[in-house]
Amino acid sequence: MTTTHSKLYADDVSLVVVVVDTNPFFWAGAALPFADFFSHLIHFVNSLLLLNHLNHVVVIAAGVSSCAYVFDSSNAGASGAADVAATLDKASRKVEEFIKQDARETAGNGTVAAGGAASLFSGALSIALCYIQRIFRSGTRHPQPRILCLQGSPDGPEQYVAVMNSIFSAQRSMIPIDSCIVGTQDSAFLQQASYITGGVYMKPQELSGLFQYLAAVFASDLHSRAFLRLPKTLGVDFRASCFCHKKTIDMGYVCSVCLSIFCKYHKKCSTCGSEFIRVMPDLNSMPDQRQ
Amino acid sequence: MPQVMVVARNFMDMVAALPAAKLDMLYDSAFICEAVLRSFPPLAKKYVLQMLYVSAPVPAAAIEEWVLDEYASKHKVAIDRLVQLRVFVEVRDRRKEVSYRMNNKFQANMQKYLVSGGSLPREPVPSSITSRLPTVTELENYALEQWECFLLQLINSSQVEKGTSFSSSMMRTFQRGLLSSRDNEAPKLSENGFQFLLMETNAQLWYIMREYISSAEERGVDPTELISFLLELSFHTLGDAYSLNTLTDVQRIAIRDLAELGLVKLQQGRKDSWFIPTKLATNLSSSLSDSSASKEGIVVVETNFRLYAYSASRLHCEILRLFSRVEYQLPNLIVGAITKESLYGAFDNGITAEQIIAFLQQNAHPRVIDKIPIVPENVTDQIRLWENDRNRVEMVLSHAYEDFPSKDMFEQCCDYARDNGFLLWEDAKKMRLIVRGEFHEEMRVFLRRQR
Repeated sequence: MTTTHSKLYADDVSLVVVVVDTNPFFWAGAALPFADFFSHLIHFVNSLLLLNHLNHVVVIAAGVSSCAYVFDSSNAGASGAADVAATLDKASRKVEEFIKQDARETAGNGTVAAGGAASLFSGALSIALCYIQRIFRSGTRHPQPRILCLQGSPDGPEQYVAVMNSIFSAQRSMIPIDSCIVGTQDSAFLQQASYITGGVYMKPQELSGLFQYLAAVFASDLHSRAFLRLPKTLGVDFRASCFCHKKTIDMGYVCSVCLSIFCKYHKKCSTCGSEFIRVMPDLNSMPDQRQ
Repeated sequence: MPQVMVVARNFMDMVAALPAAKLDMLYDSAFICEAVLRSFPPLAKKYVLQMLYVSAPVPAAAIEEWVLDEYASKHKVAIDRLVQLRVFVEVRDRRKEVSYRMNNKFQANMQKYLVSGGSLPREPVPSSITSRLPTVTELENYALEQWECFLLQLINSSQVEKGTSFSSSMMRTFQRGLLSSRDNEAPKLSENGFQFLLMETNAQLWYIMREYISSAEERGVDPTELISFLLELSFHTLGDAYSLNTLTDVQRIAIRDLAELGLVKLQQGRKDSWFIPTKLATNLSSSLSDSSASKEGIVVVETNFRLYAYSASRLHCEILRLFSRVEYQLPNLIVGAITKESLYGAFDNGITAEQIIAFLQQNAHPRVIDKIPIVPENVTDQIRLWENDRNRVEMVLSHAYEDFPSKDMFEQCCDYARDNGFLLWEDAKKMRLIVRGEFHEEMRVFLRRQR
């Protein structure tokens, strides 16, 4: 009987929110030019829309200091497929505008150190989750949601808390986060995100065939994933960032009340205000390990 | 809602049954490729996507690797479907190993889709020529009215004041499977007919379309052309006007019939005329892949077996009358009661309890749709119980065996039948046993071996 899932469409209807890294610091030196990457992405979006007319795709761009919606297939959906093509054209213009706008904000901000700047993934993830919640609450039936992160730039340890919070809220609402790394180094954040939410984490070897990876792995809906041989994660980097200096650490101090993480001993927890009366021994002799 | 899937899949079976050359011809149109792709099971869709940019044949063994071992059956279903519709073409190399290659036309069309997105089958007539187009709600009302009128005429030709212009021979083709007429008697709805009425609109539509197309040859029309036109029609934009001049002769005849069913609305301008697709048409190919009933429900069922349907439609009243006692009819409300007698009447007509319950659930009023369960449990249970009342005796074709030479042999036979799940009854004292009919052959082989 359909009573249990009466609010869901058939198994293979999906809502895919794609978070795209548009960090100019990364794309300037990337092996795959951004234009090529973007055309792979458009192919991917088109193929999702092709698979099922109820599929819904949203693209969110994550820049260095801001995020924005770039494409939403439901805007075009009402009047047919031709509009989707037009909307996609608009999307590519929107991305260009967004990148310029983002560059201006970054320049005005002045805090970003040149080189190695991270993209604002925490913001983009939050926007994606909000969007999905809005879909959940509107209408009577909704597709099965999932998030796909296309990240190139390295993680920003200063976003650790925000990203982890997004991951846990995704886990609570049973939204898998898939991650595809288009850069050179693995992302500890996304490894954890995919691990916790049950998504797929992958770092393609050959970026020129990105579409094939996207089509083979990330286009498969949640229903058929149960039957498929999907790439397995080899290992997950569970390291956390400390709350005081936003550094990624192997070992540190954990507040016994609120579980905040610090790289150095503090007399008082900066998050919950608990006072640590006993003087802790040196970290090197008796470490409080945190995985 | 499995009915839509079943009926729609039957339609695709019809497409698959076309001769290979004709099927290949159909794939010239990108819309048909799109519709066919969307009708596939999810796994098959994924295979297509993965093979889209592969031009060389891929060994069957390699494709099998994509799926976990325990789901090989799903894999087989997907591949069979793809081969049936000639999207995958089997290639055998010298060592007799099977490989699959994608249909070239299909591949090219889908690649084009990925690059440029979808397009429209034909350009709409500019609004400067069309005088006034109906709004979406007007169009929907029109479609519903036409469709209900058609259904009413289908089930009860005498009750309709405003008949459709379908020729009586055409009507008879549609009625063929739905009505049973004995000599000298007014035709009565058959078992299929009742089930047809309880189906969702899309399923009904597909059923009618299938009959329409399969009867095309009798009228001297090529079914291939009708299929391609129907699938193409569903990619037109809802509520836009399209000129009739762009159609071929066959299509122009077909569109008049489709207008009768409410799939399109025809309008006459000063110089040319045009057709406007309604929701029925645009939902046609989408329901191939998903049974999305976006229609708002009307029925509220209470725990005291009362049934309220917020509708003024005579068709709804007729449908409810199939399994309930309609008590009063107010301008916008039909009130009925589900009684033992009314349900027995329905069961006599070959409607099952599950169908009735599914109908009540699918057509639930928006105010009750969020409740779990949608239909009160005591009502669904009682409907099922009443159905069980009638099925106290079950007939099973079977074979009886007796006169066993030894107790030992009797027991071996019993165990053999029981292990295979075909044993119905045994009497150890008199050494007799009864086994399901379909197991007789195996039983004989077994007995012979024992000797």
